[in-house]
Amino acid sequence: MKLTGTYRCPAPRARVYAALIDPVVLQRCIEGAEQLVRTAGDEYDVRMRIGIGAVKGVFSGTVRLADMQAPEAFTLHVEGKGAPGFVSGSARIRLDDAEPGTAITCDADGQVGGVLAAVGSRLVDAAGRRMMDRFFERLGREFDPPTTS
Amino acid sequence: MSTTTGEKIGYVGRAMKRVEDPRLVKGIATYVDDLRLPGMLHAVFVRSPHAHARVKRIRTDAARAAGGVVGVFTGAEVNAQCGTIPCASSFPDLKSPKHTVLAGDRAYFVGHPVAVVVAATPYAAADAAELVDVDYEPLPVVTDPEKALEAGSPLTHPDLGTNAAFTWNLTGGDIDAAFAKADRVIRQRMYHQRLTPMPIEPRGCVASYQPGEGTLTLWTSTQIPHLIRTLLPGMIGIAENKLRVVAPEVGGGFGAKLNLYAEEALCSHLAMRLGAPVKWIEGRRENAAATIHGRDQVGDYEVAVSKDGRILGLRNRTIADLGSYLQLLTPAIPTLTGLVVTGAYKIPAVRMDVVGVYTNKMSTDAYRGAGRPEATYLIERLVDLVAAELGLDPVEVRRRNFPAPEEFPFNTATGLTFDSGNYEGALRKAQQLARWDELVARRTSRRRAGALFGIGVSTYVEICAMGPSKAMAAGGWEWGCVRIEISGKVTVITGVTPHGQGQETTFAQIVADRLGVPIEDIVVLHGDTSVAHYGRDTYGSRGTAVCGSAIVMCVDRILEKARRLAAALLDARPEQVEFADGAFAVKGSGGKRLGWTELAGEAYIAKNLPRGFEPGLEASAFFEPENFTFPFGTHICAVEVNRDTGDVTIVQYVAVDDCGNQINPLLVEGQVQGGIAHSIGQALFERTVYDEHGQLLTGEFMDYPMPRAEDIPDYVLGSTVTPSPVNPLGVKGVGEAGTIGATPAIANAVMDALRPLGVTHLDLPLAPEKLWRAIRQGHKE
Amino acid sequence: MSTAPFNYTRPKTLDEALALLTAHGGNAKLLAGGHSLIPAMKLRLAQPKMLLDITRLEALRRIEERDGRLVIGALATHAEIAANRTVASRCPLLAEVAASIGDLQVRNRGTIGGSIVHADPAADWPAAILALDAELEIAGRMRRRMEAAGDFFMDIFETSVEPDEILCEIRVPVPAGPGAYVKTAQKASGFALCGVAAVVDAKARRVRVAVTGVAAVPYRATGVEEALAGKPLTAETIAAAARHAAADITPLGDIHASAEYRAHLAEVNTTLALQRAAAR
Repeated sequence: MKLTGTYRCPAPRARVYAALIDPVVLQRCIEGAEQLVRTAGDEYDVRMRIGIGAVKGVFSGTVRLADMQAPEAFTLHVEGKGAPGFVSGSARIRLDDAEPGTAITCDADGQVGGVLAAVGSRLVDAAGRRMMDRFFERLGREFDPPTTS
Repeated sequence: MSTTTGEKIGYVGRAMKRVEDPRLVKGIATYVDDLRLPGMLHAVFVRSPHAHARVKRIRTDAARAAGGVVGVFTGAEVNAQCGTIPCASSFPDLKSPKHTVLAGDRAYFVGHPVAVVVAATPYAAADAAELVDVDYEPLPVVTDPEKALEAGSPLTHPDLGTNAAFTWNLTGGDIDAAFAKADRVIRQRMYHQRLTPMPIEPRGCVASYQPGEGTLTLWTSTQIPHLIRTLLPGMIGIAENKLRVVAPEVGGGFGAKLNLYAEEALCSHLAMRLGAPVKWIEGRRENAAATIHGRDQVGDYEVAVSKDGRILGLRNRTIADLGSYLQLLTPAIPTLTGLVVTGAYKIPAVRMDVVGVYTNKMSTDAYRGAGRPEATYLIERLVDLVAAELGLDPVEVRRRNFPAPEEFPFNTATGLTFDSGNYEGALRKAQQLARWDELVARRTSRRRAGALFGIGVSTYVEICAMGPSKAMAAGGWEWGCVRIEISGKVTVITGVTPHGQGQETTFAQIVADRLGVPIEDIVVLHGDTSVAHYGRDTYGSRGTAVCGSAIVMCVDRILEKARRLAAALLDARPEQVEFADGAFAVKGSGGKRLGWTELAGEAYIAKNLPRGFEPGLEASAFFEPENFTFPFGTHICAVEVNRDTGDVTIVQYVAVDDCGNQINPLLVEGQVQGGIAHSIGQALFERTVYDEHGQLLTGEFMDYPMPRAEDIPDYVLGSTVTPSPVNPLGVKGVGEAGTIGATPAIANAVMDALRPLGVTHLDLPLAPEKLWRAIRQGHKE
Repeated sequence: MSTAPFNYTRPKTLDEALALLTAHGGNAKLLAGGHSLIPAMKLRLAQPKMLLDITRLEALRRIEERDGRLVIGALATHAEIAANRTVASRCPLLAEVAASIGDLQVRNRGTIGGSIVHADPAADWPAAILALDAELEIAGRMRRRMEAAGDFFMDIFETSVEPDEILCEIRVPVPAGPGAYVKTAQKASGFALCGVAAVVDAKARRVRVAVTGVAAVPYRATGVEEALAGKPLTAETIAAAARHAAADITPLGDIHASAEYRAHLAEVNTTLALQRAAAR
């Protein structure tokens, strides 16, 4: 499964980069991430609850940041396993100045295994895209101006 | 010598419904899953989600602690006690990995069992299986068998040092001379896709150990209870004569159940180890992932031809994707392809080189047709390509290369002797049934109207009645027994294990005619090694030809003994006694007649037997076939391809099959119908898909398309009858003919439809998108 | 192939069902036809703690005409809709779609509401629901609300029905204009690789075209609709308009059909659906 997407974020590149490698922000942006605990320098244990329709599963695994070139690019490696199977993949994330804000390009390559692959192959791409879209949508909201109430 | 009254009563040759049908139609047959034994435990397997991984650690404590769980076992706890899964084929340089019942420190394919949970209920076992935590380290995956042979490829089994399991070649005639003198050489690369057999009943077994007697009974959904009884004892440490194997009703096999599988061996071991019956029922997804697959050969094929269309030689290199392990016949399948690669033609020179390759997938093995569909497809495609290249009529090219009826028995360059045949006769009859001239005219007019209309022909020959023991790893004979019971009823016991072939009916037809008894008085027993003591079981379209012949031998022996008994009771000499209509009488006397009831009564009560006459009235026999049989036929298919979508509609389908004498034409037709249905699937849409990571993407009926009623056109079926000289019934076998003859007819028809667009060859399956792309490409050019 | 443990209860009224749904939070699933849920449970991809069997809520399975609307209860089965006389006379497109779903067993058990709320991107109903400008009545504990079909399908397997709500009815304005549904089925599953529903309003010279199976979310092919607005329906205008059938969407691709082929099928099936609808 290969996914590519380009997103825009209404903030300068350095701030977006900082947010993207901040575990607190990552946890907020990864839908279903219940836990993100640093285990080594750039490695985190993660627990995610993923639900697509009636299909729900809890995955536990690791998130690792690599090849970091602040504030331009880094690679995100994700591995997780759960009852429905396993997921693994990596995404190269590139940030470019795009006035106003930042353009983010994400090239992801992922694999699913187990029951998910055997019965859900037709949905994996669409589900992966949805998760990617949601991630960057949430990231964008991190930079929304604070609302006054 | 056989005295028969067959012609008079005439069950044989009559289209009769199967005696098996009512219990199947009513849903009252007994399958493995219907068995309930006191104290029975249930096994659920934990399987690898990775195509290739190191098994670093298996944590079973949570599963062991779960409610209802009796035990959780990993490879470390059972592999040493269970031996290895047998493969019956051997080659001089065959490299084989150690095939243990559970994965050891590596998992080699998606679905590879790594642990088993045994619990009081199937639900508890499934719940606990989820708690087994396996730590895998993914390893490089081998999925493409051609790349697997390149230097530097990752290895499926690093300990073997290569992905090549074996190389095998077959040569006949002077191949170099054939190509040297050829007017034309036609080359084509072809891929014969992997298929999943998908019997409607998945596998399953119940193993039960009786500690007092020290005996084990294994009920299993299999085609081969006898071969399992031969092979399993050495694996699990039990004497052959303390093992009983029973195949209850089997809901489809198609070769997928022609194997001894890890689950059967392990459940047997666990029943002995735990002292309780253990049941395992395979799920559909398990069946798709961990029951053998079929086909999966790719090759570069070339034929040398003279300009008048005579085929001088056939050369090819075939790569067979074996999957990760050798199952029972895995390496033998591509060699079967080699044996019939010359098809129904007089091809004087042949060379075939096969490389069997290990990949991180489920094993391939015998799937209905087993090697012959691959051969038939490639030669029949090649003949069409030859015709196209030379501007000849494909039917005429076939005709020019047939051996004539008087040339039989015909020796092929591949070393076979075709027993009997009239290929021209079957072709002619098929053309008549298809109204050939009208069909060709229809193609012309439909093409003129802009339609993509094609006609495909396949003239096939295949190998059945497996087989002479010298050619079969575990013997190719068959055993039967016929017993006249004390009541006069007749019990027939067969060493083959029918599971849809209908021999409860056909064997009764044969015996009823020869003994002159009503067919209702006959019961045919099979599939239980304590009832049918010997047998080599059902595969390779062998049941009727090989075991039917054994049963004829039994009947002859009974008739001979009964004649002696009747003579004694009638105060005559045996040669004075004649047998007619189920009774013995002194010739021309018009006097007392002794039927089976009287004779059986005398034979068992044994008060009036002549001195030295052995009581009882039964006979058993082993039949050893002197040769295989070689059924043949012609299939003609006409299709129309939708230009916008690539959808294929079969507009006409005609098949003429010659399987020798027919015991029951209705069952012959049923076998052909089902076989063609399988072919429609293979030709048009079926394929097993692994992705580049070795993940199985066709793991359910949601993604693996089986042919359905709506896909099946009205067939016009006919037959010719060329009896086989190699068995007393003159039969050949028909269980696989449809899967062998039909796929190339359909493929040739679709290719013919696309010919006006300049398309010459596409690999199977000819699914709509592939055709749409070819049509679009054709339009562009 | 056995499910994880779960509890089961059969509420007698819609209010009871809604109360239970709220009480169990995200742990409960509604059981109607069960044709998507049960397989997912058997594969253990879905492990709800509680199944609320709503199949006996008779009020939710009625099919009737009310105030210029054909009202179809969410629990009506595909087979019931396919065979219903009111449907046949007032909105035959629905019967055509119903008859194209799965196989006989699926149609006998599967329900329109279950299918729509499950929102499989390859399900048949969404195309018809969108093309017919249907409205959906959704009940929550505190309120009932109507949702336009166009606002209902949010994402792959996601609709605007909240976890504590129940879809009650599908309402279609009738008489509906002539319509047609043209589907290319995925060979194994019978789901739509591409299903196109077209409805023609001859008087207003307006068409509605909706496509399922092609994108992650079923959609109205507005490009096609606009290209035909006010125009007579001829082979030429239809063919020209159908080229917009997959414009502005990202088609799905899988082992059964590439994104490109799906987009192509959208055009082919749109053409056929419009031709058939126009001829009816």
